[in-house]
Amino acid sequence: MNTAGKRILMAKTGLDGHWRGPTVVAKALRDAGFEVIMIGMARPEEVVQASVDEDVDLVGLNIGGHVDVAVRAIGMVRESRPEVPIFVGGVVPPHARRKLEALGVEVYPPGSQLPDIVAAARRLTGLA
Amino acid sequence: MSVDNNKDREWKSASGLPLQPFYSERDVPPEHRERMSSDPGEAPFQRGAHPGGYRTKPWRIFQLSGFGKPEDENERIRFLLEQGETGFIMEHDRNTGDHCYNVDHPDVVARREDVGLTGAVMQSVRDIDICMKDLPLATSFGHAGGAVVQHAPFALAGYWTVARHRGLDLAKLPGTGQSDFFLTYLGCVTKQQIPTRDGLRFNADIMEFCDKHLPRWVPVSIAGYNGADTGLNAYQELGALFANAVEYLEEIKRRKTMPLENAARACSGVNFRASMDLFEEASKMRAARLMWVQLLERRYGITNPKVANLRIHCVTAGSRMTYQQPLNNIVRGTVMALAAALGGVQSLGVSGYDEALSIPSEHAHQMSVRIQQILQEETNIQSVTDPLGGSYYVEALTAELVERAWGFFEEIQEQGGFLATLDSGWLHERAAENQSEDFRQQESGEQVIIGVTDHQDDISPFEVDGFMGVDDAYDVALARLQEVRRTRREAGASQALKELERVCRDGSNIMPAMMDALESEVTLGEIGDVYRSVFGDWATPIQT
Repeated sequence: MNTAGKRILMAKTGLDGHWRGPTVVAKALRDAGFEVIMIGMARPEEVVQASVDEDVDLVGLNIGGHVDVAVRAIGMVRESRPEVPIFVGGVVPPHARRKLEALGVEVYPPGSQLPDIVAAARRLTGLA
Repeated sequence: MSVDNNKDREWKSASGLPLQPFYSERDVPPEHRERMSSDPGEAPFQRGAHPGGYRTKPWRIFQLSGFGKPEDENERIRFLLEQGETGFIMEHDRNTGDHCYNVDHPDVVARREDVGLTGAVMQSVRDIDICMKDLPLATSFGHAGGAVVQHAPFALAGYWTVARHRGLDLAKLPGTGQSDFFLTYLGCVTKQQIPTRDGLRFNADIMEFCDKHLPRWVPVSIAGYNGADTGLNAYQELGALFANAVEYLEEIKRRKTMPLENAARACSGVNFRASMDLFEEASKMRAARLMWVQLLERRYGITNPKVANLRIHCVTAGSRMTYQQPLNNIVRGTVMALAAALGGVQSLGVSGYDEALSIPSEHAHQMSVRIQQILQEETNIQSVTDPLGGSYYVEALTAELVERAWGFFEEIQEQGGFLATLDSGWLHERAAENQSEDFRQQESGEQVIIGVTDHQDDISPFEVDGFMGVDDAYDVALARLQEVRRTRREAGASQALKELERVCRDGSNIMPAMMDALESEVTLGEIGDVYRSVFGDWATPIQT
């Protein structure tokens, strides 16, 4: 389980304040040895800035509702850090999930199990 | 993966109470046996709030609703009323409402596509007026929105101002506010919020204002739901809810501005969650009524049965609605609604079967109403009050929940009280512990969720794709904001805003100035700017 100092940025694109999901996921990732940088509710440009400043290996976005804000954030992260993979979780309706997956973003909707999310983080950071 | 063999299972309730294979008279504690002889509508009310139960007062069908432009929300509310809803709830957009931001605030602009997804955008009394078009305000029990503490004075004053414009007498207006601390400081922590002490002041101001001017209005409604759906278990939800009530009562006691009995009456319309443990949840509603009687008598010497009679609004657990195989959620909604009804609640909202996918579609909303109508009209459940009363199991559970809940209440007092547990993050830690434990149990197979941990194959031909509201909420809100700024009487608005800032600073009741501000078409964001300059921001104890 050597996560070799891999760093994950966790942010929330919306202003709805549901902290339960991202907190549980962050704890699971830390327990698995990742270094997790939580910036909470952040605008797309703040997500980009943090992904650069913190030199992260993976970006995790908690999103909900209209994914257009997340899509904008994903586009902006890719512009400045094209090599960094992105995965998302939250209340993502099936049609929006298809849209995100078409962009090459992995989606973990409600009901996703923590071991699967941790396994994805290992795979996306090149550990597995 | 489930535990294949039941003999290896540890049998316990959702909140961890160990359960016996069956219950007998000896399992009901002696002091509780005495209480069992009371009738419904009689203190200590564990058997029900009213002697006639649902025969005389069927529970109110009361669904959360709102999205888009104010006219979209109005259309959905009128749809629900046509379907048989017997009260209505006006949700405001959370990006703007909860934060008291106008749509041109940079934090909203950055998320413009989200605007209107969680409620209609209402930035001035004009928007609220559109949302309330043709609603039966005088006869129907309305929820004005304002679930988040700093937003409540605006939402309430807006609703009342529109009612007044329509010629209604506020002294006779029925309805409820919310201003819930569990939502604001525990469940859905906003990016910016007034500190808890100032929130307490707002709620006491609302209680005083209603005491003087709106005696039929429920000023604030403590929502244990928001604690429970964040992770608190059944007895923690009970203990924390009454610890919250104590903060309100102590504040009014300190002010000496209204009779304490009136304050207790103002706090006695509360909200609980009903989740999937059928008997524990039904017992919880019974325990709650009993605890309110105990609290008022022991701590404040209040025994007036009109005050000590807790009225409960219940919402079924949104967090138990699954993303996978969403039609299963119709069954879950029914079971949770049944738990609430068996517990004798006065009002009920059933979460949409698409809860884990999106805000409710029209069809999901209709199903939430139909579930309640089927229970009321087809199951004969309304005939007999407290049908579980006298069951050894339910009475033992009720007694044990009461005991554990008072234990948790005492733990909160030892931490310095309910507000202190929010400020320090102690209560958040209790919720987070339970969340982690839930996940652990799902992984180990101790907790089974059909369609999620087990039986994942879905052959349903009905695709549930999630409801996305409308696309033009942001643009229309921006145009309307500019229109208000262009056409309102600027001198009046600016004077009202100054007066609001003055009362915010000097500590007098903010509601009269808030009513003037709404009348003068002061906008939500301007009010938020006053709050931010006067009160600053709550130091959030958790990373959100």
